[in-house]
Amino acid sequence: MRIVTGKHLSRRTLLRGAGAAVALPFLDAMQPALAAPVKSVRRIAVVYLPNGIIMDQWTPASAGKDFAFTRILKPLEPFRDDITIVSGLENKAAERAQGGGHAKASGSFLSGAPPKYTAGADVHAGTTFDQLAAKKWAAETRVPSLQLGCEDSRMVGNCDTGSSCAYTNSLSWKDPDTPLAVDVNPRSVFERLFGSADPSLTPQERARRAMYRRSMLDLSRDNTRRLEAELGPADRRKMDEYLTSVRELEQRMDAMEKDAARIPPVEKPAGIPFVFSDYVKLMFDLQAIAFQNDLTRVSTMMIGREGSVRTYPEIEVPDPHHPLTHHRGHPDFIEKVTKINCLHAQLFAHFVAKLKATPDGDGSLLDHSAILYGGALSDGNAHSNVNLPLLIAGQTGSNRIGGVHVKLAKATPAANLFLSMLAGAGLSVETFADSTGTLDLRG
Amino acid sequence: MIPVLAVVTALPGFAADPAPLAFVQKNCVACHNASLSSGGVNFLANLRPDTFAQNREIWERALAKLKSGEMPPPGVAKPPAAEIAAVTKWLADEFTQQDSQVQPDAGHVAARRLNNAEYNNTVRDLLGVDTQPAADFPADQAAYGFDDVSDALNISSVLLEKYADAAERSVRTALFGPEKLKPAAVHYPFPVRLNDTRGRGPVKLPADIADYDQTGLSLRSASHVTHRFPVEGVYSFRVVFNGHRPNQSMPARIELWIDGKQQQEFDVDATDLEGQNREARLKVTAGEHLISVSYLKQYHGLPPNYGGPEPSTRPPAPLLDSTRGKLTEHDIELLRKLGTTIKPDGVETRIDNRFESLDIGGPFEQVTGPSPASRRLIFACGHLDGKHNASCPRVIVSTFAQRAFRRPLAPKEADAYLSLYTLARKQGDSFDNAIAAALESVMVSPDFLFRIERDQPHNSRNAETAAIPVSDYEMASRLSYFLWSTMPDAELLRLASQHKLRRPAALEAQVRRMLRDEKSRALVDNFGGQWLQFRNIDVVRPDLAKFPDFDDSLRQSMRRETELFLDNIVRSDGSVLDILNANYTFVDERLARFYGIPGIRGPEFRRVDMSATERGGGVLAQASILTISSYATRTSPVLRGKWILENLLNAPPPPPPPSVPALDDTKVGQSASLRQQMEAHRASPVCATCHSKMDPLGFGLENLNAIGQWRDKDGSFPVDATGSLPGGKAFRGPKELKTLMLQDRDAFVAGLTEKIMIYALGRGVERFDRPAMKTVEADLAAHDYRFSALVLGVVNSLPFQMKHAQEPHPREPKDAVVAMAGEKSK
Repeated sequence: MRIVTGKHLSRRTLLRGAGAAVALPFLDAMQPALAAPVKSVRRIAVVYLPNGIIMDQWTPASAGKDFAFTRILKPLEPFRDDITIVSGLENKAAERAQGGGHAKASGSFLSGAPPKYTAGADVHAGTTFDQLAAKKWAAETRVPSLQLGCEDSRMVGNCDTGSSCAYTNSLSWKDPDTPLAVDVNPRSVFERLFGSADPSLTPQERARRAMYRRSMLDLSRDNTRRLEAELGPADRRKMDEYLTSVRELEQRMDAMEKDAARIPPVEKPAGIPFVFSDYVKLMFDLQAIAFQNDLTRVSTMMIGREGSVRTYPEIEVPDPHHPLTHHRGHPDFIEKVTKINCLHAQLFAHFVAKLKATPDGDGSLLDHSAILYGGALSDGNAHSNVNLPLLIAGQTGSNRIGGVHVKLAKATPAANLFLSMLAGAGLSVETFADSTGTLDLRG
Repeated sequence: MIPVLAVVTALPGFAADPAPLAFVQKNCVACHNASLSSGGVNFLANLRPDTFAQNREIWERALAKLKSGEMPPPGVAKPPAAEIAAVTKWLADEFTQQDSQVQPDAGHVAARRLNNAEYNNTVRDLLGVDTQPAADFPADQAAYGFDDVSDALNISSVLLEKYADAAERSVRTALFGPEKLKPAAVHYPFPVRLNDTRGRGPVKLPADIADYDQTGLSLRSASHVTHRFPVEGVYSFRVVFNGHRPNQSMPARIELWIDGKQQQEFDVDATDLEGQNREARLKVTAGEHLISVSYLKQYHGLPPNYGGPEPSTRPPAPLLDSTRGKLTEHDIELLRKLGTTIKPDGVETRIDNRFESLDIGGPFEQVTGPSPASRRLIFACGHLDGKHNASCPRVIVSTFAQRAFRRPLAPKEADAYLSLYTLARKQGDSFDNAIAAALESVMVSPDFLFRIERDQPHNSRNAETAAIPVSDYEMASRLSYFLWSTMPDAELLRLASQHKLRRPAALEAQVRRMLRDEKSRALVDNFGGQWLQFRNIDVVRPDLAKFPDFDDSLRQSMRRETELFLDNIVRSDGSVLDILNANYTFVDERLARFYGIPGIRGPEFRRVDMSATERGGGVLAQASILTISSYATRTSPVLRGKWILENLLNAPPPPPPPSVPALDDTKVGQSASLRQQMEAHRASPVCATCHSKMDPLGFGLENLNAIGQWRDKDGSFPVDATGSLPGGKAFRGPKELKTLMLQDRDAFVAGLTEKIMIYALGRGVERFDRPAMKTVEADLAAHDYRFSALVLGVVNSLPFQMKHAQEPHPREPKDAVVAMAGEKSK
């Protein structure tokens, strides 16, 4: 099994790996990336919810245009015209597969391929639909796709009844043998997008420090040249190497200054924020910025991994999430799970609002993004893979959707929805996994 | 460095004394000829008298192998002992004769950049802040096994930028206190190290239940993590549990430890621990700390039918009416009370309580402001309260530069650095901020970043060897970077300024003082850690499926044992032979249990007698060394044999030929023991030459598994710990191996001397260093192998005291320099 972390793309690694000869890969690459996109492009994102949903609090009672927002989805009501709720989809691969209920669900969700039952390194599932898009657009953006998570994962051994942790820790698979590790640290996501520039200083302060640094380097150069006169050949070679470093550093500072306008528009995160809702919002913000600047067009994010035992004391749920979902009908447990589902929807509404408020081409960022929101389990108590809780925020293509609850025939493959998203984004894919065709999402 | 092709041999005395040539022709050339060239040696090539000296290494190998009996190899007729004795004596005399003609030379080390460890320590001593800035630097390159070798220490613009950033951060921390940090969380998920399957009925308790580890620290249920706290402050520790405790157990008691000290206990009353959690807020100092979480008295307070100590006195927990399907009213009420602390679908019998994760968040209530000690170091004019006078900037900057450059400043040298102060003042910066700019400029200067030894005008230059003594200040730096990996302290600088440091009595007193000082830990970490390679213990990843006992706490204890062992030799002037074999070591409870030494309780390390144990003492008994010389999944007699040859016997084997098939790990212990498999591998003649030396050494340690734990069986096969030294002396088990190595101590001493010379000088050793090394070896033997004799021998040696003068090149015309360095002309 290969875990691709994406770290190989960081600027630091590039500098280390390639040496000083490639001093400016980040800045060069940023040039086209941060320029405003000329024409609107399409983006695809998935926001994943673990451990199932209290479905009767999610699914609107009526289908069609005049549905009433349920308790869980209430936070999304302000964006009614941008929301398409899709009911009745099923993930057959998870039912076919062997292994832990949680591992099978997330391990097969976006690929429609049953994950191999193993706790070893020989994990095997399927290429996920987001990665088809990522491959198609890879050459056009700085980062082919982002895999984010708001819950770290242990990544070794068995996470769910003998199933490899890879199935619960990762959502996106580059190919059937390669799960893509999620990045849970906003700081490293930031560095992946923007390199290690420090946006926290004021422009004046930055300029002054740069001036001092140049003076220091000047001074060192003069001293070193004087010093060389006293030294023999071996020492002089060392000092020549030092002088070369001084010169290269100055050149890099020149390039940086020309690039000052491209300092990222957000503060560099210190690390993982302490409050969960701040954490999730920050991860959403980073995705919005990446989309806005066309740094990537594909992202997937796990609000939690399957089996998550996060507690939510801030909303009076001090109990761990996963055991609560095995509620066996206990009203208190159901209430607490519902509260968690509501909180996640509120946080997602923040993302939707952000995308809607960001102009992009002839509309908003939301108009050019298809964000799939939901999970691979419906009833967590029974590990159910049918009638999945799914909705789309934004637009899948040029035919406008939204403001509708699409109720599909039972057992429609979830792959049909993924195929529709790919088709809407201009990827001509005939079939995907067990798909039987695209969906009409206009209701 | 043995030339593989066209090996040249001829003895200058062959004409006068035909016996050696006859010996070689009779006993050696059947294999070592042009067509076979066994071991890359061909005694028939280029028999010219003038090449004997150039091929000294070949003949030295020949001498060593004849003496040890390794050559001629088994299966070939042995010449009579008298003939061997004659030819070895002849060779040895020939070498002595040669050596007497070698002109000793002090050698020259080009300006040496501070390596990362030296940089960290120097900044610490210069500014009084231990911020470890080099943690963010690219790793140093090593040569000859050490990362303080001048030729390998390059500088690039990437590193220079990091130096500039580190200077800015360190100076500002010293003057204004640590940067104010926003709280952030770090999440540590823990791997499952326990069997997580559901049992039926009481679980069997461990065999040592009468004397199990009640701290829980050494049990698999505990978790450990080494965390670096950026600043002093309050941090939150959120511990998430997982696993189960049997119904009716007393509440679980969980302890949070920092560096082996109890900090906070939590009681959790739950049979289903999944996701249960507790949080503590604790004040922690900056730097790395080992954070542990464990279950106290894990096997106490279990239900009576488990048969454990102090069984539970509480009544059985109330049970649900139904374990499947719909809950009854009674169940709903009960679960309302118990929440998720029980599993609602059965009676819990498991004892697989463990930890899910630890989140460390902070800093809260960060300790801010500079330390008075740092400000005292910097504000040399004595006005800490800010009432500076006109001469203060110069005093402050020049005092700082002298300390940073480890030498007095030339006249006007301070002016340049003072110009940064003036510039910043003109820009409107405060006094302190402007001083910061000046100090930063000192710290990006090559005089700080490199140890540059200038050729001072000297009367004492030796006309023949071109050797000149290094200056007093340079001697102070040589000493302090050798023994402390940092800048000289005030006492060394004072002696240097008084020109007293070169006096033999003063020098010896300083060396002894420095070795006793706790800063000599740098010698253990940087010399010992690289020589014996035990630094690698930080990065090895033993297979947790095969070695579930291994965790970060054991890793730390292993490293600590070796550090304390070497530190004891350094600071209490022990015998270097203890490294080969000793009757003592240092253990804490974790390691004592791991080694099976009874009666050691608590996380403090203490000296213990090892003479009664099977593993014995010396580094070959230490788990750190045994682990780094193993694979993740199994022991490797090859790696261990190679390790011993390289580090203890001064006989490094050549690298393996390409395209050698690896051993099939899956078969080890199944179809054949590792030993049987390797013996099959050695049947190939290509492999046999080297493996017949490496493997038998490693086999002697087969009783110690891949993480250094004693075993009597390898899989299902009994361990066969018989082995032999390269010369053929046979032994069984580690103790006999060590006894034999002690008898053969000369090779060990020669190897150690060479390694410490390289480390001390910062360059590879050359032929002309041999006389100096021989003297060190002899001194060491004459002084009972005391560590101080080794260090004093090195310090008093020609290459440490002197250097080969370099003729400074006349300054080239400026344009030429500009073109060479690629500068833009200005």
